[in-house]
Amino acid sequence: MTTLESTPPTPAATNYLTHTRGFLSWAFTLDHKRIGVMYLVSVLSSFLVGGIFALLVRTELIAPGETIMGQDAYNKAFTLHGAIMVFLVIIPSVPAALGNFVLPIMLGAKDVAFPRLNLFSYYLWVFGAFFLVAAIFQGGLDTGWTFYAPYSTEDARSGVILATTGVFILGFSSIFTGLNFIVTIHRLRPPGMTWFRMPLFLWSIYATALIQVLATPVLGITLLLLIVERVMKVGIFDPALGGDPVLYQHFFWFYSHPAVYIMILPGMGIISELISVHSHKHIFGYKFIAFSSVAIAIFGFLVWGHHMFTSGQSGLMNAVFSAITFSVSIPSAIKVFNWLATMYKGSISLNTPMLYALSFLFIFSIGGLTGIFHGTLATTIHLHDTYFVVAHFHYVMMGSALIAMIGGLHHWWPKMTGRMYSETLGRIGCIIVFVGFNVTFFTQFMLGSKGMPRRYHDYAGETWSPELTELFHTYHFISTLGSYLMAAGFFLTAGYLLHSLVKGRKAPSNPWGGRSLEWQCTSPPPHDNFSSAPTVGDCYDYSVLEWDDAEGGYRWREDVPHPV
Amino acid sequence: MLLRTLTSLLSSGARVDTGDGFWLPPQASTYSQGIDWVFYFIYWICVFFFVLIVALMILFVWKYRRTSVTHQAGETVTHHTPLELTWTIIPLILVIAIFWIGLDGYVDMIRPPANAYEVNVVAQRWNWSFEHRNGAQDSQILKVPAGRPVKLVMTSQDVLHALFIPAFRAKQDVVPGRYTTLWFEAKEPGLYQLFCAEYCGTQHSQMGATVAVYPPDEFDEIIAKDARWLDNYTDENLYQAGLRIFARCSSCHSLQEEVRLTGPSFWDVHDDFGKKRLMEGDYEADIDENYIQDSILNPQKDIVATYQGVMPTFQGALKPREVRAMVEFLKRLDEVVDRQGNPIE
Repeated sequence: MTTLESTPPTPAATNYLTHTRGFLSWAFTLDHKRIGVMYLVSVLSSFLVGGIFALLVRTELIAPGETIMGQDAYNKAFTLHGAIMVFLVIIPSVPAALGNFVLPIMLGAKDVAFPRLNLFSYYLWVFGAFFLVAAIFQGGLDTGWTFYAPYSTEDARSGVILATTGVFILGFSSIFTGLNFIVTIHRLRPPGMTWFRMPLFLWSIYATALIQVLATPVLGITLLLLIVERVMKVGIFDPALGGDPVLYQHFFWFYSHPAVYIMILPGMGIISELISVHSHKHIFGYKFIAFSSVAIAIFGFLVWGHHMFTSGQSGLMNAVFSAITFSVSIPSAIKVFNWLATMYKGSISLNTPMLYALSFLFIFSIGGLTGIFHGTLATTIHLHDTYFVVAHFHYVMMGSALIAMIGGLHHWWPKMTGRMYSETLGRIGCIIVFVGFNVTFFTQFMLGSKGMPRRYHDYAGETWSPELTELFHTYHFISTLGSYLMAAGFFLTAGYLLHSLVKGRKAPSNPWGGRSLEWQCTSPPPHDNFSSAPTVGDCYDYSVLEWDDAEGGYRWREDVPHPV
Repeated sequence: MLLRTLTSLLSSGARVDTGDGFWLPPQASTYSQGIDWVFYFIYWICVFFFVLIVALMILFVWKYRRTSVTHQAGETVTHHTPLELTWTIIPLILVIAIFWIGLDGYVDMIRPPANAYEVNVVAQRWNWSFEHRNGAQDSQILKVPAGRPVKLVMTSQDVLHALFIPAFRAKQDVVPGRYTTLWFEAKEPGLYQLFCAEYCGTQHSQMGATVAVYPPDEFDEIIAKDARWLDNYTDENLYQAGLRIFARCSSCHSLQEEVRLTGPSFWDVHDDFGKKRLMEGDYEADIDENYIQDSILNPQKDIVATYQGVMPTFQGALKPREVRAMVEFLKRLDEVVDRQGNPIE
């Protein structure tokens, strides 16, 4: 059971934001909360840049023919959109930004196990991002975020070395964060918090950290080999030098498929928290959800070959990878049904975070179910490398992973900033993003099934049949309009969140009625989080909380004895 | 333009059919029907589960909405193992079934019948070359017979490409340094779109071609004629043959005076013939017959200033007589086309 005594006696006196002041107090901070906030600002800035590239890509495709940019510019734009969104936004968004802030507090700890390593991870991220951005200015990068050889090893691709060096460094940032979280969860759990009393968010972060530590080195090695081939002309991937381009794909996807789960697992963890807290009901099937995270992490290592069904690998390999791929769908299905069962007979408040969680359920269902078409050999051959895949992975990576991240951001925003945002604007923003997202990407399923290949600058020209140009134009046009709507939703969201920092109502300790430990410190938390290690009970038992009108939040019930 | 010339080749006067409904192109190959069956089988399972999930979600949100801050959850069961096993096992059985029918359909797609008609395919940025056994060769048009299995034996001269014919549900990466194969049997004569589906750089979206499916008799006739097409030209009118060979140059060169693609317009070469031009590396070279022949067979030798040396060699890809035809064609371009690229009759 939890103690209220563990929170400091004078809540508003000083918090982590006001504890020390000045630029250097942030630049050299070892406080996980400040590092989390720095990650958050960096990740959201990258999201803006990646989003601008996305809008450029969509605008180019609004009509056949060259609309706003030429072929080479388009190829650079979609490459940077992908590389920035994957490496700088989605991968660090939940673990490094939200995880850094929330994880130690959820554990009732003062900080992560290795605060200095944590700060080092952040600067590695900045350093890696710098290289990636330098590649833009150096003349651009047009290989796609996958850097497929032998295209990427040609001399003309001058940006590749800078960009892969950047991704290599970002990889180490990710490994160190994962390592830090694994040790923190093993060593810093408070008395009473057994493995099965941890909030499910921590399970998902733990499973993610395992993937980060085990898979990311392979990416590092692969990119290093790419650089070795380019610089020293050692034949590894380029057939002209005696290498094998399909080998590159094996290496790359051995990391990058698990990386998909680095992106989605923490999002699933957030959704488990959001749905339970905002339904004011105990999570249903805790162990099934926890183990399904671990199962996804394990199966995720065995399915990389499903990115290579048309690469020329043997039919037998394709059959094996197809079979294992389906194993990943089961834990995902379990989670969805358990979330629904959590809502059953709950007391569901439609706060902004809950709206994002519901959006996630809707979008992830589509994203997950359309994965079946890609796992099934007969259908995947036709759909591979078409917009059907583009739609599918945006439903999973953007519509699920990022929507969950934004839901989590709204959930923990009062805790991080000490301010409440406008609920009305929050709900409107969520609905606009939701509608815009589906308009943008659902049309792309149809586009892809009709045969539109991905990474195409244009859908008209000498070699194009006019009938297809006409058909694809309709879908592309609708999709682009959807992307503008989505952008409007995000700008609105950014607007009211920033506004809340200045004008927002002061946040209570527990605005939503959450039971995990972070809701028991003040908002924002004090520098040390807790003055002494708190003891914990069932973090999904909400019956001990009641609404407090004076504070505008939840508090421990008077008639329930405080645990010691 | 290409399609219009092709349409006259085909007695049917066909258009590319985009198929009915929201999903999938028409079923133009023998195995496409089976694949679409699997697609719709999965599709309806997905629709069922999606509707179930969203319906329950909306129902719960409405029925169990929080009416006041003192409202409590009405149910305290925290887990129910048999129920959870149910929604583990039912999806498991379903995906095993889906895997199996998917595998079954796939096995048909990767086993070409022994009597398949073979076409060699060479992919080279941003052009497809289709070579028939009898020596007939096309680019941008893959000619195949209807009702006979066709096997494509493919390789790439540079980076990864992928040959994709949506109406046939056929796709296979084309990899440098190795051969990959693909087979299909087109059901009906007609025209179908072919795409490059693996990203290959600047003009990736223009690396398309048309699949022209002929009735079997007509096909044999056309291919036989194609193999001998250059014999129809004498040394005197060989220059006119260049217009047809030009199809293989058209992704990077234009016949319009004002249009500069990756490489120079052929009018630039024609107009400079007999003069000197400044080359990359700051020296001058004569634009003569040798220069044109070198540009085709050894393109990196002399590169005109302001251009990048990105042209691949056509050594071995063009027969000596075809190279001669191209040299004559460039010299006498004004006798074949006007400055907008329209043929002069």
